[in-house]
Parts: sequence; C-alpha cells; structure tokens
Amino acid sequence: MAKKRRKRTDKGISQVLRMRTTILILLILVIGFGAVSVRLAYLQLVQGTYLQEKAVEQQLVDTTVNSKRGTIYDAKGKVLAQSASVWKVVLAPAYMETKEQREFVAERLSKILDLKYKDVYKKTKQKTYYVVLKRKIESDEREKILALCEEINKKFDGLSNVITLFDDYRRYYPYNDLASSVIGFTGSDDQGLEGVEFQYDKYLTGTPGRIITARNANQTDMPFQYEQNVAAKDGDNITLTIDETIQSVAEKYMKKGLADNEVVNRGVCIIMNVNTGAILSMVTVDGYDLNNPYDLSETDLASIKALPEKKRATAESAALGAMWRNKAIADTYYPGSVFKMCTASMALNEGVVNPNSHFYCSGSVSIYDHTIHCHFKSGHGGQNLFQAIANSCNPAFIDIGARVGASKFYKYYQAFGFSEPTGIDLPGESDDLFFNEDGTMSQTDLAVASFGQNFSITPIQMVTACAAVANGGKVLQPYVVQKITDADGNVVKNTETTVKRQVISTDVSKQMCSFLEQNTTKGGVNNGYISGYRVGGKTGTSEKIGQSQHGYEDYIASFCGFAPADKPEVACLVFFDTPRGASYYGSQVSAPVFVNIMSEVLPYLEIQAAYSGGEKKYVDTVAGSYVGLSVKKAKSAAKKDGFTTTVKGSGKTVIAQMPSSATKIPVDGNVVLYTDKESKKNKVTVPELEGYSVSTVNSIAASAGLNISFTGVTSSSSAVSKTQSISPGEKVDEGTVVTVEFSGGTVVHD
Amino acid sequence: MQPQVEVMRRADVNKLYDEKVNNRRRGRRPEKQQPERKKKVHRPLLERGMGLDLPFLLLVLVLVIIGMIMMFSASYPSAYYKLNDSYFYVRRQLIYAVIGLAAMIGISFFNYNKLHKVAPLILGFAYLTLVVVLFLPGNVHRWIEVGPINIQASEIMKFALILFFAHWGSLYYDKMQYAKYSVLPGILIFGSTAALLLLEPHYSGIVITAILTVVMLYIGGMRVQYLIAGGILLLVAIFGAWVTGVLTYAMQRMDGWGQALVYTTEEMWQTTWQTRNSLYSIGSGGLFGLGLGQSRQKYLYLPEPQNDFIFAIVCEELGFIGAFIILLIFALLVWRGITLSLRSKDRFGRLLGIGLSSQIGIQVILNILVITDWLPNTGISLPFFSYGGSSLIMLLMQMGLILSISRTANIEKQ
Repeated sequence: MAKKRRKRTDKGISQVLRMRTTILILLILVIGFGAVSVRLAYLQLVQGTYLQEKAVEQQLVDTTVNSKRGTIYDAKGKVLAQSASVWKVVLAPAYMETKEQREFVAERLSKILDLKYKDVYKKTKQKTYYVVLKRKIESDEREKILALCEEINKKFDGLSNVITLFDDYRRYYPYNDLASSVIGFTGSDDQGLEGVEFQYDKYLTGTPGRIITARNANQTDMPFQYEQNVAAKDGDNITLTIDETIQSVAEKYMKKGLADNEVVNRGVCIIMNVNTGAILSMVTVDGYDLNNPYDLSETDLASIKALPEKKRATAESAALGAMWRNKAIADTYYPGSVFKMCTASMALNEGVVNPNSHFYCSGSVSIYDHTIHCHFKSGHGGQNLFQAIANSCNPAFIDIGARVGASKFYKYYQAFGFSEPTGIDLPGESDDLFFNEDGTMSQTDLAVASFGQNFSITPIQMVTACAAVANGGKVLQPYVVQKITDADGNVVKNTETTVKRQVISTDVSKQMCSFLEQNTTKGGVNNGYISGYRVGGKTGTSEKIGQSQHGYEDYIASFCGFAPADKPEVACLVFFDTPRGASYYGSQVSAPVFVNIMSEVLPYLEIQAAYSGGEKKYVDTVAGSYVGLSVKKAKSAAKKDGFTTTVKGSGKTVIAQMPSSATKIPVDGNVVLYTDKESKKNKVTVPELEGYSVSTVNSIAASAGLNISFTGVTSSSSAVSKTQSISPGEKVDEGTVVTVEFSGGTVVHD
Repeated sequence: MQPQVEVMRRADVNKLYDEKVNNRRRGRRPEKQQPERKKKVHRPLLERGMGLDLPFLLLVLVLVIIGMIMMFSASYPSAYYKLNDSYFYVRRQLIYAVIGLAAMIGISFFNYNKLHKVAPLILGFAYLTLVVVLFLPGNVHRWIEVGPINIQASEIMKFALILFFAHWGSLYYDKMQYAKYSVLPGILIFGSTAALLLLEPHYSGIVITAILTVVMLYIGGMRVQYLIAGGILLLVAIFGAWVTGVLTYAMQRMDGWGQALVYTTEEMWQTTWQTRNSLYSIGSGGLFGLGLGQSRQKYLYLPEPQNDFIFAIVCEELGFIGAFIILLIFALLVWRGITLSLRSKDRFGRLLGIGLSSQIGIQVILNILVITDWLPNTGISLPFFSYGGSSLIMLLMQMGLILSISRTANIEKQ
C-alpha cells in the first residue's frame, strides 16, 4: 500500500495537490463557513428574540418617579399625616478616577450627611453609577450638597455627574403620638406599616411614574430618541371620622387616668357615634411618636438593656410590636359587669324578665359545686330589674342569664356581634374567645357569662354592642375612614353606615336607656354622671383569672356609657388594663375618666345640655363687659346677666371688673366692680375648698369673696369636692373664679 | 512553450527547479495538463490588469470598503465617549488601508519567487521578533513598536510559517511523504513557535499556528496517515480530558467559555461580559438587522467593538442576511485565492497562495466562533474588518502576493 502510494505521488504531484486542495476547500468553505453560518442563523433567527430582549433589558433604564403619598385628615380637615419633599443622595463613583477626587468627595459628603468617612470612601471605590448614600435628606442638607456639587465641578473638571439628588418624600405626623394606633406609620419605602396607613396603603400610595430611557453602559442617554414618560399619580387623601379635638381630650384624660391609677397594661378609650358607627376617637395609651415609631419608651429600653445580649433583638422587636399594637381592637378582655347591659337587654327582649321582675341576692349563689359570691358580700336582698342593674348584683344576673338559657344567650351573643370581628377598617382585629367554639356552655359557664366573666371580647366589640343597646337595637359596623378623595378632590369612596342587624327591639332599647340613665343618676354609679347631661352607663371590674402575675390579683377597670340617654348620640368605652393604684374598680378608675372626657366632648359636639332644676344655679354664664359704664348702669347690666355686684372704691365709672368679661362664672356669682385704682390692690386669700359638700363650698367661697365654678357631680347630696383650681393660701383678686370639682360619694365594687 | 521565455528572464535561482518540475509534469502527464491550460486562457479582462486576477482584486476591494464602513459604524460611539473623537479609528484605518492597498498593488508586481530564497531567513526573523517581544515591557508580550505602528509578532510568524512551508514543500516535494521531511519540521517549527507564544502568552496564536502548520504540511504532500494519527491522538486527549472533567474545568478557566449567558458568580459575569454582549448584539440583529449605524450594543455595552468583536455589530446592524452575504464574499475570496494559486506555474506559488488564502478563511471561521461563544475569547481579529494598522497592511501585502501569483500564472498562459 505504501509502495503503491509513493509511486502515485511520484507520478503526479499536481494530482495529489489538486485533490488535497479540494478537500481543504471543502473543509474551510463547506464545513467551516457552513458551521459558522448555522451558528449565526441559530443565534439570530432562533434565539434572536430572547437575546434581543436581554439586550433591551440592559439598554433601557426604568427610572421610578415617586408619587406623593396622600394626606390623612381628621373629621374637621386637620392634617394628621402628610408627605413632604425630601431628597435621596446617589453617588456615581465610576466617574472618579483619582484617589484625590475620591478622598475629597468622601470627606465632604461624610461631613454633610453625618456618615462615617470610612464607609463613604469605600463606596467611592465602587465601579458603578448608582450607590445610594443617604435617603430622605432635608432641604438644608440639600443646599449644602448642591454647593458641594458646584465646588467639585470647579475643582475637578468633568466630575459634574458624581452626585445626583433624587426627589423623594417623607411622612410627617404633625400631632406626633395623637391617635398613633389608628393612623399608623410608613416604612422607608413609603409603604404603610400600621393602622390606616397600612389598611389604606393602596389608596394612599398612588401610582409611581416611570421614565424609560435608552442608556449606554455609562448610564448616559443614547443619542437616538427613545423615551417614554408615565406621569406619577399622587395618592388619594383620606378623611378620618376621628376628630382631633375629641381625640386630644380623650388622650389627655386617658393619660392622666393611666398615671393616677398606676396602670400597668395600657388603657383604651373608644368614642363612637351610635347612629352611624363612625369612630370619633380611638385611644390607646400610651401611644408612640409616629415621627419616630422605632423609639421605645425609656422603661422598655431599660428592661431590654438588662437582658443578655442574645435576647435583646427579640425583646426589642417584641416591645415594638406591643407598642404599635392597637389595644382597642387587637386585645381581648373579660367585659365584666359592663356586659350586664347586654344580658339585661336580651332577657327583656326575650320577655323572660320585665321591669317588675323580682330577684333576691343573699350574697352568694351555689351552682353545682361552685359558689359564686356577689361583690356585695352581705347580699343585696330583694331587688327589681332596675335595682339589680344599679347594684350590679351578680346573683340577680345569674338568675337572669338562667332565664334566658344557654342557647338563647349564645344566639344573642352572636347577634350583638361578639362572635365575629366588627369589620372595622383597621388591621389586626382579634377574634373573641368564647367557652366552646360551637357556642355551647355549661350551667356554670352561663352563670359567670351573665355578668361578663370568663369569655373574652375586644373593646371595639363592647362599644359596638353598647351602641346597639343605645341606638334602638341596631348593630353597626364601626369605621374610622369617612371618605377617600383623589388629588383633584373627587370623592373616590365614601363610607356609608352599615347596619348589620337588629338585635333587640326599639322598646327594649328605650327601656335599657332609661335604666342605664337612672343607674348614673340615682344608682350606685354616681361617678358616671355628668352634670347637665342625661347619660346612661355601666361600670365593670373584671378579674383577669389565670392571668395574674407577680402575686397581684389583677383586674380590668372599665366603664361603658352613652349620651344623651333620651336620644343617644355617642357611646364611649373607657378601659384600663391592670390598674395597681389605690383602687381597681371601674367606678373609681374608669368612670371619672369617662366623666371628664364626656363633659368636654358633649359640649363640643353641641349636644344640648339639659340641667335639672337644682343644677341650674351651678351652670356657668359668661360675664359681660361692664368697664367704662357708670356704676349704676354697670350694676343693672350685671343684674340683667344674673350676677350680684360688689362695688369697690369711690369713683363714678367702672375702670375694672373681676372676673373679667367673657369669663365663665355661675349664675348668682358675684362681680366685683372697681371704680378707682386704690381699691384694686386689695387681695383675698384662697381658702381650703376640698372635701366639702356643694353647699359648704358655696358658703366658704362667698365669705372669702370668691366665685366658684362647679364641675363634676353636683346634683347628688353625697357629692364631695375633690380638687380646686387655685391652691389654698394663694392671694388673688376679689371675685376670682376658682373651679372646684365634685364627685359622688358611693362606689359600686363590681 | 512560449511564455517560458519571459519567466526565464525574471527567474531567480529557482528557475531550474521550476523547469524541472514543469518538464517532468509535462512529460509524464501531458493529457491532464492540456484541458487545465485551456480553461485559463480565454479571459479578456486579464490583459488589462497585466495578468492581475481582477475578480480577486475586486473581492479584496469590496471587503476593504465594507470593512471600513462597518468599522466606522462600530467604533464611533466608543471613540466619541472614550476619546472624544468619533472619527479617531476610522481616520487611522483609512490611512492604513490606503498604505496597504498601495503596498498590495506594488507587491503584485513583485516576483514572489524571490521569497523562495529568503524564506528561511524570514522564518529566522520571525523567531527573532517572537523572542524580542518577550523582553519588552508589559504584562502581555505581543506587540513590537516600529515607529508609529505596532506589529504583532505572531502576525509575522504566521506569514513566515506559510512562506517557509511553501518553500519547504516545493523544495522537498518528492520527499514529503517521509516523516523526516514533513512531520519532523512540522513538529519542530510548530513546537518552538508554540512554546514562544505560550510565553507571551497568546493562545489563539498557537491555535492558528497549529492549523496553518497542518494545512501547509497537508497540501505540501505529507502522508494522510500521520494526520489521521495526529487527529486520533488529539481526539483521545480531548476525550480523556472530558472523561476526567479536566475539559469542563479548562472551559471554566478559559474565561467562562460557553457560559456567557449563565450567571454563576459576579466575577465570572464580569469576565464573560464581552462575549455575552456579543451574543446580545448578534441576536438583536435578527434576520434583517437594526439597520446600518443602528446598533445599540456598540454604545459601550460591547467593549472595543472595533476590534475582534466587530462582526457582532455587523450582525446587529445588517442582520443574518447581511452577515451571510459578507461570509459569502469571504468564501468567494478564499475560493478565488486558492483556485488561482492552483493555476500558478510553480509549486512554491501554489503552496504559498493556497496557504495565504486558507489563512483568511481560517481566521474568519475562528473569529466568528469566538464571538458566538463556541471558542474561548482569545483575540482573533476579523480580516479586513477589525481595527489595526499593522495587521491590515500586512494582510493587504499578503493579498498583493496572491495577486503577484495570479499575475505570473496568467502571464504564463498568455
């Protein structure tokens, strides 16, 4: 073979070359170029779409234009939450080439933005065009950065694009901690995290705009036109049913109540319009500063610091969670005696009792092997239905509950809305906790349930049920957002009252209103009474069975009431979790707070006062201006306004008056008219006014030459003065008004 | 035969050899030669170019012009952004092209047979440049600065290699079947060159050198058995590497060869940036392309689009149709170069012409395999398209040599 081949080669070199050249051409042109063409065809025709997508993906830069988050207003249009312009500082370190440039930029930026030089310098070394240095800088920082940009531009030629400021927004809460658990706050990306901010995030956020541009790899625009703008749509504005004034009043007194009674586990106050379901105020004290939602209280910080290092982070997030928790809807509690208004309502509605039904209380009741005591150990004796309510007698209510029966009881429990969330438009509402999930209960269960023990409900469920008792039996869906309007003012959504069902008849409701009103005026709960208004309400003191800690027997003190009793407008629940002060009774802890809040809220709501005859003389009237008048004319003018007068000095015209004009003083108060300067120097000493009855205070004040403004419970003969606005011993002008607060003497220990 | 006289007049030391070859061929295979000669004779255009092969010249000019346009299109954004002068590359390339074309025409008048004698000398010179380049400063020792232009040492080597094996193959035409005259010099020259290129390092240079050596030895007359044996050895080695996993490892080491579209690590993603963006460019072109000058990938996404990856921009702008037409022109050029060289009156011319023509085809194939991620990204430029003064001038000078071969081949026939 080899020999033969050699021979052939010798014969025709050209022939071999020709053949080999043909093979070479085949290899290069057919196989080589063929393979290359197939590869190109595969990439361009088969994979083309995919690869082009990828290419476009990196070429197009999608810049998001933040939309402005909507404003949250209170019911009267006051701003509760608002977004204001701030800026985001973005660095493009890839433009910097020398160490000198990096050091200069890092040093200046770290100073202006209050960042660590090391961290900023590290970022200047990255080879990218987009490094966020700091977010949400304010306008003063922005000015400094703009000046720095100019300086950099002068100092280093062509470094003008190193720092860019992007528009951003920051959330401000003008009232800090007001209604914090309702409003909630936003996170760093402007997303709602709690409360209304979370619940209505979709409306508040708006639609971010986009600018799509084709960029080269340096992130500057490509020369050809490729731009697409989608304008940002600002978020919708939200108007709450919460009224800042009412909320402030409620928070003020709730904070005071919290401090006075050494409450461990926070307090809740809900004020609800009983006819619409609108929440006028929802307080959880203590709240937190919405502008700094991650700042814990000092006590929390101290207890976290005491923990070992490892547990701190968990403890901190738990503490934050607890602080943000809206106790009014997220926590459950035993409603206690407050629930008796529901038990009585269902019994009346079922016709198993009537106002004349007779109940007997010996001080305790035995059910099977359990003995249940009344809070009044010696027993209330024989009572009718109203007396049973006023005495808050447990044995009587065990009897009432038994007459209703377990299945009917649960039916009403459901109908009052306790077995389901109220559906309030806030996040985190809890479910109730009934004895058995299917609603069955033992006789003992029924007995204790009759006076509101051993089942848990949320405060919002209780106030909704109370509203149903007051408003003629309608169970409403509570809500905090009245309406949503877009940036142009068009109404997007308006909340209408939702009546879920009729739980009791209008007649039963009327009967209950009258019982509960009498309860506040005549019954044991003097502390729920508000002078000048017809109020209905019920105290409650529930034991936290199985929840007591640290050897304390812990209680929940609550009061739930409504006004005016003849034509209810608002319901209010005041509830303190675990008071450890001098008293833990609802009547002593919560009722006074209820009275204080409502006596400011009711006038604000322009609910007509209806004073009883005895109270009239204590109702304050505005003093007119008598200055400049002759003594005779001034005297007659003051008399016309209902005041007596004392003239001091020997002048003919009045040069000054005490109390001054527009001050509120009681009818029959005394106005001192000064006719010369000499007599004005006379001062009187404020006497001790605490601990006396209304009439005693009146006579002491009269002899001292002072006017008294009476607040609190003044109609009861057992009312005793508790506080005075000017301390005893102080020297004041004659005729000065001293405000004295009274409260009822008897206390129901339910 | 009549033309013999003219050749004799110009003939150098090799004329006797040529005579001998031709006489022998004529004497022994007269019937085979006649039809060949006839085919070549009647071409009216040939006379005007004084024997110059006009189709080949036209193909070269077409490629130079298309290459110039595409190079300008591909380079102006990066020239604008990086050098603030959109015309930076194209201006220079234009000057080189003019110089190169002038050199090509000049060389076409030059009798390539004169290179026969100096082939070993040129090879020696090429070795010298490969050694010298190692001692020049820099991390990668590839370039020699000669005045205003940089010359890649391996470019000289490639030419010297083709030239030497053409010389060798024609000198020992009758002994090429012996391993001593084919395998041995092949291994010696390729081995030493590869070793020097490894030091630079310049892997693609090694690959091209290997292929050129094989091509030259194959057409020089080396026995196919040796080639087959070598091929089997290579396949066994690759298979072994694949079985042991070395191949996968090597592919990863080779700048993420074949991994351009798969994200593994940030580092690898950055390394495969150029290849990936090349694939994006090619894919973006689709069938018809985005239009001349409309590439988006050249806006700094594809680094140095004027160099090795220029064909990716061509694919993006002209689509598969445009790219295929350009490939066809290249194929025609290679075809024409090889066939006209075959017609050369001497073996040296034939081997030299085929070698130089194949080199273009091989470079085109390897370049496109690189930009389509079928070969590792190792720096193989695309003839006539890639920016680079020295390589363009050298390329055109080599085209001049092929034209010179065509001229003598055709004159002989007249």
